[in-house]
Amino acid sequence: MNNYILKRLLQFIPVFGLFLVLSFILFNATPGNAFTNILMNRDLPPEEYQRVIATFGLDKPVHERLFLYIQNFFKGDFGYSYTHFPKTPLDLIAEYLPRTLMLFAVVNIVAFYTGFIVGKILAWKRGTKTETWITMTSVFSYTVFYPWFALMMLWFFGYKMGWLPIGKFLYPEKWYDSPYSADEVFFTMIKYTITVSLALFLIFIFSRNIESINLRRNVRLAGTAFLLAGSYVFWNSGEPGLKSTYAWDIAFHMILPVMVVTFVAFAGTALLMRTTMMEVLKEDYILTARAKGLSQRRIRDRHAARTALLPVATSFIFTIITIVDGAVITENIFSWPGMGVLLLDSLLREDVPVAMACFSFLGVLALVAHLLADISYAYLDPRIRIQSQG
Amino acid sequence: MVIKTVEEKSQRKNKIFTPAFKRNWLLFRQSTMGRIGFAIILIFGLLAVIQPLFFISGYWSENVYDPVVGYDPIEVELLIVKCPKNAEYPTDKYEEPGDCPGKGEISDRMVMPFAPMAKPGDMYETFLQPAPPSKDHWLGTDSLGRDVFSQIMEGSQVAFALGLMSATLSVGIATLLGTIAAFWGGRVDAYLMRQSDLILMLPQLPLLLIMAALYRFQVWHLALVLGILGGLGGLVISVKSQALQVKVKPFVDSARVTGGTKFKIMTSHILPNVAPIALLFMVFGVTGAIFAESTLSYLGLLNIDMSWGMMIYLAQTDGYIFSGLRYWWLVLPAGLSVTFLSGGFYLVGRGLDDVFNPRLRKR
Amino acid sequence: MSDNILEVNNLYMNYDTIDGNVAAVQDVSFSIKKGESFGLVGESGCGKTSVAMSLLKIQADNGHIDSGEIFIDGTDIVSLSEKELREVRWSQISIVFQGAMNAWNPVIKIGEQIREALREHYPENSKEENYNKMSSLFELVGLDKSILERYPHELSGGMKQRAIIALALSCDPKVIIADEPTTALDVVIQDQILNELKKIQKDLGLSVLYISHDISVIAEMTDNMAVMYAGRIIEKGPTKEIFSNPRHSYTRLLLESTPSVIGKRKKLNALDGEPPSLMGEMKGCSFSPRCPKPSKDCKDGNIKMGLIEVSKGHSVDQCCVNCG
Repeated sequence: MNNYILKRLLQFIPVFGLFLVLSFILFNATPGNAFTNILMNRDLPPEEYQRVIATFGLDKPVHERLFLYIQNFFKGDFGYSYTHFPKTPLDLIAEYLPRTLMLFAVVNIVAFYTGFIVGKILAWKRGTKTETWITMTSVFSYTVFYPWFALMMLWFFGYKMGWLPIGKFLYPEKWYDSPYSADEVFFTMIKYTITVSLALFLIFIFSRNIESINLRRNVRLAGTAFLLAGSYVFWNSGEPGLKSTYAWDIAFHMILPVMVVTFVAFAGTALLMRTTMMEVLKEDYILTARAKGLSQRRIRDRHAARTALLPVATSFIFTIITIVDGAVITENIFSWPGMGVLLLDSLLREDVPVAMACFSFLGVLALVAHLLADISYAYLDPRIRIQSQG
Repeated sequence: MVIKTVEEKSQRKNKIFTPAFKRNWLLFRQSTMGRIGFAIILIFGLLAVIQPLFFISGYWSENVYDPVVGYDPIEVELLIVKCPKNAEYPTDKYEEPGDCPGKGEISDRMVMPFAPMAKPGDMYETFLQPAPPSKDHWLGTDSLGRDVFSQIMEGSQVAFALGLMSATLSVGIATLLGTIAAFWGGRVDAYLMRQSDLILMLPQLPLLLIMAALYRFQVWHLALVLGILGGLGGLVISVKSQALQVKVKPFVDSARVTGGTKFKIMTSHILPNVAPIALLFMVFGVTGAIFAESTLSYLGLLNIDMSWGMMIYLAQTDGYIFSGLRYWWLVLPAGLSVTFLSGGFYLVGRGLDDVFNPRLRKR
Repeated sequence: MSDNILEVNNLYMNYDTIDGNVAAVQDVSFSIKKGESFGLVGESGCGKTSVAMSLLKIQADNGHIDSGEIFIDGTDIVSLSEKELREVRWSQISIVFQGAMNAWNPVIKIGEQIREALREHYPENSKEENYNKMSSLFELVGLDKSILERYPHELSGGMKQRAIIALALSCDPKVIIADEPTTALDVVIQDQILNELKKIQKDLGLSVLYISHDISVIAEMTDNMAVMYAGRIIEKGPTKEIFSNPRHSYTRLLLESTPSVIGKRKKLNALDGEPPSLMGEMKGCSFSPRCPKPSKDCKDGNIKMGLIEVSKGHSVDQCCVNCG
């Protein structure tokens, strides 16, 4: 297992190197390229001028520039933002990132879980009416033109019905007297979400060892109930208690984007799950399970879904990437000020340093996510995890 | 060489319409999804092709119906009204602020800059744009008086051209690279695999966004970029594995011994094996291309005169999106077209999936 | 009623396929007594595995039993609901699958998969009781206890097969079906496993249904046997009797095509042709195209089918009684 991880890490390095070269080419290939544009910015103080030339090596030949670029990359030096001068791009990313994280952590979990369940049902009920209906909905949700669809949903739920807020992530009026900044509240929410998810995950893992099926189910229910109670206490006391109204405001604004993105994103996972399950269902061990007298549900969940989970779990990481992909559009339409908006704005306003920083950041994120996906696949599949003894 | 027999000759000719092809076609037709998808594609293809025919035959005069520069002056008389302030709603005539001005009416505030002497109660002559669907304009006109139906057709042309160009390009590149990787091996192979990995991993949309913003794309630039990106991606890996499987078969060695060139081996043996995945990839590639183009033009980053994404973009910048159903012909047709056409290709892909993956077929 | 632990009467089973209806099992009847071992032999595709699947009612989705009865210890399982069937499966009758390689779920430990069956049929058992039971089962089949904690891919073919036998015995069934129990193994292991099966059967007083295309396995392991061809039983009776006095042409050819270690060396008679397609109606004797001495009635399809007793317990399909 460790060998496997090491191997993957080593393979990762050349890919990353390639990525750096690619981004260098991307930002340098235009006539009047990205870096020289920095020079042409009127707001640039004179001292900066020299510094920029020196840092980016604009007076040096290409290969030296590449080297300097890589150096700067690792130092995190992308220059200063034009539109938000004197903030650096990294400052901006630090500011916008938590918002994106919050939204997309929730979206990912919801979308993936929905897809997983739908896919499971879909494969099981092959050839029935249920399958046809669900398949049609999935196909629609997969192919619908997302920006247009999001707009329609926004119009319907926000404007026409007035149930949910139109865009942004909070009502400014409510926050006038707030002693907290939006970021602080975000951080608390993120910490909370992560803790709860981890706790749920741990409960699940530890209760696997319990013998009796009924007892196991009860333990899990009890654990979940306990978490719910704990959450209630958490948000109503002490510092989080004070933040809770604001946190609720943010959460309320999250409802619509989460709903819309889930609708569009679940189909991918569902279809993959379905295909994998269908292949699994042809295997002999499913027949064995049936012969043993196990119930349909148990065969489906314990045997079929568990094995089908392998490729689907890795696709979870890929769904993250798909959703990041769509983050730009989502945040744009719902006016959720996160990384996507940062990227798009910086592109439209030609704030080159910020654009470069965003792209590098997203790229690194994607590469790391892939690495994690590979490793988790190896972990989940006992055939790789435990080297056979022959 | 020896005298070619008649059989060999006819075999050569029927290389495409082999019995295998016929059987696959029948299987494809069995799949409901495939049939629906195919029908949708045919409809849109028809739309794309009809438009120039209309122009050429004179059925549509270009002055009026050109999707970009056409203009149809539809005269209409509107009643000038003074809209009550927000606080006064609801009144006898209007329920909500959105109801005023109603159909056939125009607010006096709109008229003031053009006709300062006008007052509520007068009739105001103007051109109606956007105009609702009518006999002449089946889907009405947009805010600049251009026929919407014609715009849909234009968008259809763009979608097909772009989709097919980029898909063909990417399949071509991927097949070439995959075969090279399989046959040359070593460093070349290692490099190509790393490259494919990278392309696979990067989030496509942000990458496209950046490129579009930096380089001011036109349609065929976009097709080129999409084609290259697609061609360098995951399909290379699939092609390579297919090529490897073929490479180790004994007949390849015997072909080499009898003097067949590497090139000939590649084309006559690898291509047929690769065709299924390539076809699937192509179809899904078209879906992706249509989506990419529409999204980019929706964000205003594409240098193109008219496309479906552009229609939505215009509708939004002109502020008609939130008008709801009042100006539905500005908002719905474009979005639905994108959905249906990419859906059509996707369904065809699913249909093909059934054909090429016999394990998943119903018994 | 008798001391028949398994009784099959006039079983008909069909599969619906895209290309049509396949009559896989036609008018099959046989019975097995307590403690007895029975063999079902025939070519690939003759329907013997379909019979096995029907006995547990785990046939494929497009297969269905059209008529007939299957009595397991007195209960007709054909008419049972799915819920009732689940209780019968494994606790009354179990199966050792052909090719144990794939019968195990690769991501679950072996012990856990056996425990699953135990939990289903003996829900009151404590963890310890289950563990003890599994240990003693493993001892019986000659496996070490530590295997319980391993994953399937860590075992060799022979070990997996033994584990499958342990799994089949776990809920104390009365009948075990052994479907080609040794086909996927090398001869040395084959011999071991067969001997072990014999021993287990004697120790536990089980009835075993052996299904094989290898007639030597049937010869060695069974008391009674039946020969199947194209979905029908064409001859059945005590094993010794059939081997010494085969009456059906097919049975004769089958025996003649098996080499013998003792006796003269002779040229093997292979059977020409292929088994018939099981789709559509079949008139008369389905073996007639390949029969070396068909009578006129056989070929015309005018012959009446059905088994006739020719001596004690030994029945043969009608047509061949007349051919001689």
